[in-house]
Amino acid sequence: MAFVLAVFLSVVVIGVIDAGLPWPNPKSAKVGP
Amino acid sequence: MIAGHFGFAAAIKSFERQTPLWALMLACVWLDVVFVPLFLAHIETIRSAPGTDGGYGTTIIYADYTHSLCGALAIAIVFGAIAAIWWSRRTGFVLAAIVFSHWLLDLLVHRADMPILPGNVGNLPRLGFGLWRYPVAAAAVEAALVLVGAFLYWRAAQATVSSENPSLRRRANLSAFLVLVFGIAVLVLDFTRILG
Repeated sequence: MAFVLAVFLSVVVIGVIDAGLPWPNPKSAKVGP
Repeated sequence: MIAGHFGFAAAIKSFERQTPLWALMLACVWLDVVFVPLFLAHIETIRSAPGTDGGYGTTIIYADYTHSLCGALAIAIVFGAIAAIWWSRRTGFVLAAIVFSHWLLDLLVHRADMPILPGNVGNLPRLGFGLWRYPVAAAAVEAALVLVGAFLYWRAAQATVSSENPSLRRRANLSAFLVLVFGIAVLVLDFTRILG
C-alpha cells in the first residue's frame, strides 16, 4: 500500500506542475502538436 | 510495470499536447487502479511464481477481470467515454487508447497469466510473453521507457513555453525532471520492494 501511495503522490505532484504550463486546451479538438 | 507505463504516458504527452499529463498518467495505470479494490476483495489475486521469492517480476497475477483482453477493452472504453464528455472526443479516444496500452505493455512482461475473456470464461489460453522471467531485462525496458518519455516530454514542454519567459521555462524543466526522477524512483521501489 505504501508503494501505491508513492505512485499516487507522484501523479499528483507531476500533474500539478505540468498543469501550470501553457499546453493547448484539452477541450479543443485541435489535432497534433 | 508501473514506471514503464508512466514513461509511455510522458512520451504520448509530447504528441498529444492537449491531453493533461495527469490524465495520461492516470489512464496508463487505470487497469491497476481498478485492480486494487478487486484485489482487496480477493476477487483478483497475486501469487508468487513457483521457485521464486516474490520479488520484482516473480508474481503470477490473476487479474482475470481487469487484465483480461476484453475486460481491459471495456474499461478503456468507459474511461474514454467519460473523458470525451469532460474534454473532447479526441481526448477521450486518446485516453481510451492509453488505458488499453497498459494491457499491451503488460502482455510483454507478464508470465502467461492474462486471460482473453473476463473471469477466464471458456478456459482459453492465458497470454503473456514473460519478460519478467528476466527481471534485469524487464527493468531495463522500463528504465528506457522512462528515459525516452522524460526526454520527449521535456522537448515538448520547452516548445510550448516562450523563450522570453524564464519562469515557465524553469517550470517546464522541473516538470520533465520530476517525470524522470519519480519514474526512476518508482522503478527502484518496485524492483527492490523496499516499501513492500
